[in-house]
Amino acid sequence: MNAVHHLPGTSAAARAFSGSMFGKTLWDNRRVFTVWAAATGLLTALYASMYPQVSSRPAAEMPEAMEGFGLNDTVTAAGYLQGAVFGLLVPLMVVFYGSATGARMISADEESGYLDLLLAHPISRTRLLLHRFAALAAGAAAICLTVLLVLLALRSSADLGSVTVTAFLAQATGLFLLSVLFGALALAVSAATAWGRAAVFGTTAALGVLAYAVRGFAPSLDADWLKYATPFHYYIGGEPLRNSFQYPDLAVLAAATALLLALAVRLLNRRDLGR
Amino acid sequence: MDAAIELTELTKTYGARRGLAGLTLRVRPGEVFGFLGPNGAGKSTTIRLLLDLIRPTSGSVRVLGLDPGRDAVRLHRRVGYLAGDFVVDGRQRVGECLDFLGRLRGGVAPATVVSLAERLDLDLTARIKSLSKGNRQKVGLVQAFMHRPELLILDEPTSGLDPLVQQTFLELVAEAARDGATVFMSSHIMSEVEAVADRVAIIREGRLVALDTVADLRARSFLRVELTFAEPVPAAEFTGLPHVTEATADGTTVTCRVDGPPDALVKAAARHTVTGLRADSQDLEELFHTYYGGDAR
Repeated sequence: MNAVHHLPGTSAAARAFSGSMFGKTLWDNRRVFTVWAAATGLLTALYASMYPQVSSRPAAEMPEAMEGFGLNDTVTAAGYLQGAVFGLLVPLMVVFYGSATGARMISADEESGYLDLLLAHPISRTRLLLHRFAALAAGAAAICLTVLLVLLALRSSADLGSVTVTAFLAQATGLFLLSVLFGALALAVSAATAWGRAAVFGTTAALGVLAYAVRGFAPSLDADWLKYATPFHYYIGGEPLRNSFQYPDLAVLAAATALLLALAVRLLNRRDLGR
Repeated sequence: MDAAIELTELTKTYGARRGLAGLTLRVRPGEVFGFLGPNGAGKSTTIRLLLDLIRPTSGSVRVLGLDPGRDAVRLHRRVGYLAGDFVVDGRQRVGECLDFLGRLRGGVAPATVVSLAERLDLDLTARIKSLSKGNRQKVGLVQAFMHRPELLILDEPTSGLDPLVQQTFLELVAEAARDGATVFMSSHIMSEVEAVADRVAIIREGRLVALDTVADLRARSFLRVELTFAEPVPAAEFTGLPHVTEATADGTTVTCRVDGPPDALVKAAARHTVTGLRADSQDLEELFHTYYGGDAR
């Protein structure tokens, strides 16, 4: 037999990604991640391009109870984007992305039995979890980069020039950290409970929606302090589209992510894998 | 290294449910060890403990001289594992899957993978989700054997394989053993194991009920003799005879169980007109079921 240099059934691209758990996870999820990025980018484009029409109309009255959601300024570009785009649709999209992907990374494979096979290989649970998280983060980066590029592309045609490029970058960075935070939360829930994928996704996404609502209603409930307990405050409370990078806020999101990830590692290492 | 696998008083409980109850077992380096028991006896629990997928409630596990809990990564480098239902991401091609798993192990020569796939008649370019259960199991066989591990841990490995592939599988096991590998193989079917195993352990409800060489287990089996006479003969004529452990009469037929030379039985029967005689040695499968049921029929 002639020397075989590589296996049949593998493309050069597949082989380029199969050298690590991180690469392989990215490769296996390439279509899913692309769809998430495309859908979020499309949504951003749709709403951002409506700004010229919306800003020329008198602002609709917002009920006072909804003030905390930040949907009341539709005149300035930053205010409009902070409301409809970065205040509602896009963050909820990336929270769902983080929850869904986080649930796939451990729970789905534990449910199917694939995790048994992987962990019977020379890879530690810690390493597997961190590589999978890194792949999740790469997918989140792709989504946020798409959103950023869409906004930069529409910046002049949709009259968004009053927001600086740095401010867009700052908001996209917050979006990225919000997404990976919920990814890490889903991993921590998986590691803590050994639940199936649907339960992990449902719980994580529900916590996301709850946190979003708490942050929105906190001011009208005379419990303004409550917003500090939700990640959404650190994501958008400092108004990065106006004030650019709010480093302390970003640091809080990053620290919370690191904490959840460390918790996930610890819990996954301690428990029995279930089937 | 004294033992390839050494289990000492190994116990695993799941809440109130007991998976294993004080299992003590030694598998010698280089032997093919059959690990038998009915479904739910604790076979998979044991195997998952060997691989550190679950942790013991009490007792100890040593595999290749290492503690699976402390040295999982080092241990797994030297082990090949296959579960009864081999599961991987179905979206990938067989080659992609094996390339990745090989590289998790630090790389496996493609030629080795290709030759294993050829022997098993496995198409490396097929998408995994398009494969039948039997063909998917072949992917599992290739990944378990491809890096020539020192220890093969196989949990119901032949489930779903057609008989021809089972034959190839047994050859692979024999070859691995010849190259010095230890094989620990679970099954709920005796015949699957007796062809290749040096020793066999039988577990039931999380406990060891028998551990012996295949040859000794076979020697322990008895002869069942069925005699048919011209007229009815009482069973009592045979019950007291040497090596006859049981005799029952049904009309003109007497059935006896013999655990040694049948000489006395034959001489006693010769006093009557014998119209028929059948003798079956109990096969291992039957013996195995005796252990399963917990009764010595």
